[in-house]
Amino acid sequence: MSSRRSRISEEEITELISKLQSLLPETRSRGASRASAAKVLKETCNYIKSLHREVDDLSDRLSELMATMDVDSAQAEIVRSLFRS
Amino acid sequence: ILVILSTPIHSHRSIPHSSITSPANRRWVVGFEMAISNAAGDPAAGNEGGGERKRKRREDPPVAKWRTEGEQKTYSSKLIEAIRRVRRSSAAEAATDHSRSRAVRVAADRALAVAARGRTRWSRAILSGRKLKLWVRARACRRKPLGNITAASASYSHTTRKSKPPALERKARVLGRLVPGCRKLPLPTLLEEASDYIAALEMQVRAMSAIAEILSAAGVAAAEPM
Repeated sequence: MSSRRSRISEEEITELISKLQSLLPETRSRGASRASAAKVLKETCNYIKSLHREVDDLSDRLSELMATMDVDSAQAEIVRSLFRS
Repeated sequence: ILVILSTPIHSHRSIPHSSITSPANRRWVVGFEMAISNAAGDPAAGNEGGGERKRKRREDPPVAKWRTEGEQKTYSSKLIEAIRRVRRSSAAEAATDHSRSRAVRVAADRALAVAARGRTRWSRAILSGRKLKLWVRARACRRKPLGNITAASASYSHTTRKSKPPALERKARVLGRLVPGCRKLPLPTLLEEASDYIAALEMQVRAMSAIAEILSAAGVAAAEPM
């Protein structure tokens, strides 16, 4: 297995890194030039952590909301809105 | 369904020039994907030349699918049902705010993993019982001294990653811990999983935000005297 893995070239990794970089928000908005692999990895880790935090906050909010209301009619409302837009 | 779908994926992990991932196999997966994800434009169907380049089917189309409206709508309706179930079960027993929120988070993650249709490692890791693994891992980390772990990773990097500087190694490890089920992956696979995971998380955030908006608007409307 190790001999197969060493055939993965630096190029492929560079390509994957730049694809990852294009997913990161800073790069999307500013069109930044190629950053180093280490920087991209670090930004990726930070981005994933912030996304996790957002999901946690949203979970808090959703659990609060659903506790105080009738979810069945809310669900109908959501389905309507979803298919309207 | 997940069991069936995992077969072509396992063959993705094996030698590149194998006959296991026959074109017929890939076409089946692609056909399935096209049938289910209604709005993904022209997914990997155009890529299926050559028997050696398995990686082609995992390029941009899988990531772009997380951005389609159809995907988000499907996810949203599944999530709403999951939230209803959480609500019903938390009404039965005494549930704290935190445990309810936690249950919502778990339901959202599982729904997200189901939406991935078993094509990625992170999704399969979530569905195969993430909680148990986290608990086991936490206990194992507390027991083992750190020396063991660094020795193991040092020998691992000697055999497979000779050319990578340690800073990159460290960051790759951190990334591997953040993406479910990806701790021991070699870098290229880890990067692919991370790309898909990020796109999926973004969709999760979009969907949950939209639901929260609608629910709070509906709540306000319901509170008005009729």
